[in-house]
Amino acid sequence: MAPPEDTSQPRLAAGCRWAAESKSGSAQERMILFPEGAIKLQGTGRQVLERCDGQRTFGQLIKELQGEFSAADPVKIRADISQFLEQLRHKRIVDY
Amino acid sequence: MISNPLALIAEITHRCPLHCVYCSNPLELAAAGSELSTEKWIDVFQQAGKLGMLHAHFTGGEPLARPDLTELIAGAHHAGLYTNLITSGIGLGEARLKELVDAGLDHIQVSFQDSREEAANWIAGAKAHAHKIDLSHLIHQHKIAFTVNLVVHRQNIDHLEEMIAFIERLVPERMEIAHTQYYGWALKNRAALLPTRAQLEKAVQVVAAAETRLAGRIRIDSVVPDYYARFPKACMGGWGRRLMLINPAGKVLPCHAAEVIPDMTFENVRDQSLEFIWQRSSSFQRFRGEEWMPEPCRSCDRRAEDFGGCRCQALLLTGNAAATDPACSLAPAHHIVEAALAEANSSAAVSQPITAASFVQLQHRTENLWSYRTNPE
Repeated sequence: MAPPEDTSQPRLAAGCRWAAESKSGSAQERMILFPEGAIKLQGTGRQVLERCDGQRTFGQLIKELQGEFSAADPVKIRADISQFLEQLRHKRIVDY
Repeated sequence: MISNPLALIAEITHRCPLHCVYCSNPLELAAAGSELSTEKWIDVFQQAGKLGMLHAHFTGGEPLARPDLTELIAGAHHAGLYTNLITSGIGLGEARLKELVDAGLDHIQVSFQDSREEAANWIAGAKAHAHKIDLSHLIHQHKIAFTVNLVVHRQNIDHLEEMIAFIERLVPERMEIAHTQYYGWALKNRAALLPTRAQLEKAVQVVAAAETRLAGRIRIDSVVPDYYARFPKACMGGWGRRLMLINPAGKVLPCHAAEVIPDMTFENVRDQSLEFIWQRSSSFQRFRGEEWMPEPCRSCDRRAEDFGGCRCQALLLTGNAAATDPACSLAPAHHIVEAALAEANSSAAVSQPITAASFVQLQHRTENLWSYRTNPE
C-alpha cells in the first residue's frame, strides 16, 4: 500500500461521514462515523480530515497546513500527515 | 453516572427466508404478530439519538421481511444515527436498494455462507447464493459502504482461501470473517460446526496472509473462536456498557442471547423509555461493573478488558450466568469447553467435514447432522 501522492485527492471512504455537531462533546471536537465505530477528532487531525473533500489534492492540503503551522518543520508536517492518511486508508476511513 | 450507550441493535423481525444452522437468533423466536409498529420503532430511534447513541444496526431475522424498512431507516437517519443494514439480501432489488439509500442508509452488510453455491445453499437451507452475487454488483452503484460477512466453521474452513478470493471479487470495503459463536442454533449444531485445532491454525495463517495482501483495499475484521482462545471475548464490550438490543417484540436486551438467562425480567420499549432501561433497569445493572464477579475474575488483571466474558455462554454451558465464562482458560468450568474441543479433535469425530457435492445429496446426508433454524409463527 502506497502513501498519498501530491496529485492524490483524499476523501472520506464510502460509508464514512461526519456526525452531526450535536453528537460531539465540545465545540473543538468533531466525529467521523464509519461502519464499526467512530473517531473523535480535534486539532490537527480535524484540520486534515476537513480538507479531505475529494477536491483538494494532497499537495494543496499539505501547503495549506504548512502555512497554518509555519513554526513547525514543513518536512515533518508532510511526513506526519502522509502517515496519518495512510493509516486511515488502511482502516478504510479515507481513500485517495 | 454511567456513560451513554453507543449503538442500538434493532432486531426488527425474526422472520427470515434463510434457515442457517448457526443463526444467532434464540431458539424461541418472537412471533410475527408481536412485532413493534413502524411508529414505535421511529420513536425508539428518536430516543436512541437523544441518549447519545451513534449507530443503529438493523438486523433480524431478515430486516427486508418488514415492508416498512425504508421508513425505519429514514426514522433512524433523521434521529442522527448511522444506519447499518445486516442482510441476506433476499427481497432486495434495484428499486428497493435505491429507496433505502435515499432514505439515509449508510452501510450494508451482506452475509455469504460459502464461495460454492451448493454448499452455501446447504448451510442456509435456501437457494440464496446467486441472488447475493447479483446484489453485490448493484450495491456498487451507490455510495454506501459494503461489507461482506462470512461465517466460518468445520464444514467450510478448509477452503477459506478460496472463499476470501471469492469475496475479493465482490469488491467490498470490508470483509468480516467470523467463526461461529455457539449460542442458540449454533450450540444445538455445535458438533457439526466446531473446527479442529489444525483447521483453525491453518485458517489463522490464511487470514493473516490475506490481510497483508489486501491492505488498503479491503479491510479484514476477523473474529476468533473463543473456544480455542486463552481468554474469553469481551462480549458486547461488557454487559450494559455500550450496546442495547431491542428484539422484534420490543424487549430490550443487553445482548442477543440474554433471554436464555432465567429469573431475569427484561423491560419493553412499549412500557419504559430507553433512558430508564439503560440507567435504572435491573436487567442492565445485573452484570454491569465488577460487583457480580466471582473469582478468578474479581481479582484478575484482565477483568476490565474482557469483563468476565459472556454471561449467556456461562449460563448455557454451566447453568450459572454469574460464572466465569468457561471459554477462559482460568475458569473453574473450563473443562466443559475442553471436552467439546476433545470431541471435535478426536479421530472418532462426530462428523467429518463434507465435501460439497450436489445440494440434494447434501440435504440427504444432513438429516442427522444438524437442525435448520425454523421460522416464528
